[in-house]
Amino acid sequence: MTLIKNKQIIDDSWHYQAAEQDLHGSHNIVDLAYWQANKSDLISEKSSLGLLVDGNEGLESFIDDLQYFSLIAINFPTFADGRGYSLAKTLREQCKYAQELRATGDILPDQALYLARVGFDVLELANEKSAQLALSKLDEFSIF
Amino acid sequence: MYLYNEFDQTLVNERVEQFRDQTKRFLSGDLTEEQFRPLRLMNGLYIQTHAPMLRVNIPYGLLSSKQLRMFAHIAHKYDKDYGHFTTRQNIQYNWPALEQVPDILADLASVQMHAIQSSGSCIRNVTSDPLAGVCADEIEDPRPYCEIIRQWSTLHPEFSYLPRKFKIAVSGSPKDRAATQVHDIGLHVKKDANGNIGFEVLVGGGLGRTPVIGQTINSFIAEADLLSYLEAILRTYNRFGRRDNKYKARIKILVRETGLDKFKEQVEAEWASIRNGELTLSAEEIQRVKHFFTPFKYETSTDEVLEQHLENSGLFRQWFKQNTKEHKQTGYRVVFLSLKSPNRAPGDVTTEQMEQVADMADRYSFGQIRTTHDQNLAFTDVKSSDLYALWQQLQEQDLATANIGTITDMICCPGLDFCSLANASSIDIAQGITDRFTESAIDMGDISLKMSGCMNGCGHHSIGEIGILGVDKKGEQWYQLTLGGSDSHQSKLGDRLGKAIAKDSVVDAIDDIVQVYKENRTENEKFATTLKRIGLKPFKDRVYDAH
Repeated sequence: MTLIKNKQIIDDSWHYQAAEQDLHGSHNIVDLAYWQANKSDLISEKSSLGLLVDGNEGLESFIDDLQYFSLIAINFPTFADGRGYSLAKTLREQCKYAQELRATGDILPDQALYLARVGFDVLELANEKSAQLALSKLDEFSIF
Repeated sequence: MYLYNEFDQTLVNERVEQFRDQTKRFLSGDLTEEQFRPLRLMNGLYIQTHAPMLRVNIPYGLLSSKQLRMFAHIAHKYDKDYGHFTTRQNIQYNWPALEQVPDILADLASVQMHAIQSSGSCIRNVTSDPLAGVCADEIEDPRPYCEIIRQWSTLHPEFSYLPRKFKIAVSGSPKDRAATQVHDIGLHVKKDANGNIGFEVLVGGGLGRTPVIGQTINSFIAEADLLSYLEAILRTYNRFGRRDNKYKARIKILVRETGLDKFKEQVEAEWASIRNGELTLSAEEIQRVKHFFTPFKYETSTDEVLEQHLENSGLFRQWFKQNTKEHKQTGYRVVFLSLKSPNRAPGDVTTEQMEQVADMADRYSFGQIRTTHDQNLAFTDVKSSDLYALWQQLQEQDLATANIGTITDMICCPGLDFCSLANASSIDIAQGITDRFTESAIDMGDISLKMSGCMNGCGHHSIGEIGILGVDKKGEQWYQLTLGGSDSHQSKLGDRLGKAIAKDSVVDAIDDIVQVYKENRTENEKFATTLKRIGLKPFKDRVYDAH
């Protein structure tokens, strides 16, 4: 996995929780089910927390909790499933969510610009080669 | 007409280079077919039976002579010297080579044209009334609004991976010449009690496997709110539209399964949160775009010359009556160029014809050409004193068949001959119908005949007064007939006549239908009216007793 932020490749300081016990000290990204089941514990830890949701997730299931997340990662189950674009746009424009918004899952370098234009500031590409290509794709249009 | 500014031109130029790179990566194996597919589709490129098919947008059906000459150039250089005009006012090329498509797109960009989003699960080319700006019954010219929608939807980052394709049509007249009721969104220009312009918004119409007439979701939204309302509908569709089954993925299914009231609630809740935001159209912006569509400087002219020619030539009289229409300006007429000559497939135009039409447009109609939903062309601003000379030149180009609105002016998809989706051919059936009825077409009056080679319905069979649908039965081509459809301001789906008919009996069956009409019509009664009066049964009896 290779990350792009501000048109640069960056190291990932975040950790996706893989199993129930798999939590680091800070900067964990948990999925929605785990968040909902462990909300009060996670809040009391007061460490930076990220939330992973699918693009088709209804905003209503976490809209009241946005204040707790330093990062929201939106998963694209397939690159052709465009629901994540609307979710991102809504989070940015209507909820005024200003922290990191990350696109993860099946995203293609050719989609980088559209993802950036709806408000994603971090893109997770499959590998270094894809990330390099995505970087060039972000600069393809001088008008955006 | 609208002229690109620097932003528009840069956008299409850079889009060409983007696609050049994508094509190169596909050809070198860096992009899989699955990954390349949406990218090529969003540049108008299909893979068809014989070769790729490239569909080029003609925004709201308006072309300059320069653009049409470029179409001719492309047909000559990259294709087999012809193009095909579609029911959504676009042009298709059936034989381009994949490697050359970026060059074609670059040629198009040089005349302010593109193929962006002419296919794929995104917002397609916005279509409109071919008589926009010149018809007497118009509330307001819809083209500036179409252009505003075109700009908003082009490379829309949020709505480029929708559940399925999305089509918008706008009509500025009470008489709907843009088939707005069978579009995902249909917009009707309206004025409120104070004379403010707005739109009635229809949603969920469509043809294809499940033909549905669109329903009104909002009877009046102000022009300033046009884009925010569209965005609210699209966002609701993008979020909730079905993605598990492509045959149930259009917005019409979502509206049906959700229910119009509930769907409206969802849309308007979304709208409430984005209304009055960045998408609000200012009066200045609307005015800026309207400025590109100001009426031509018409000359005052009398009909004296015309009257004389009408008196002298029966053939001219027939063409005048059938292929021209009144203009809001006295002394001018709208002229339809029939692309339904007996000698060509419906909607097809040769390189030579396109070049000649461009020249005629310069000479007789302010250098502009319209494409129509019925797959014909139109010169919308011809001085009546020029009509005779124009008619003579159109005849030389085989574009003066006096059949507009008649049974031989049929809508027809490319069918099995070209399309990989088709179950049955349509071009040869069209030819059979043309051969059978060319002599008698005018006598039968207006009959809309529409034909599709498969249930995807590109030939709009469901809304034809006579509809023909090709179906596959154990490897054989059969045809299902429907009667009584309509694409007018009160659109209606046709009723099935009975079981499918074998290919070699289709033209005879159409003949039977026409005979029943002729035997039963009262003086000047149109086909649709007779059908309504006597019902389906006499037609059914005749067709199925005979075959």
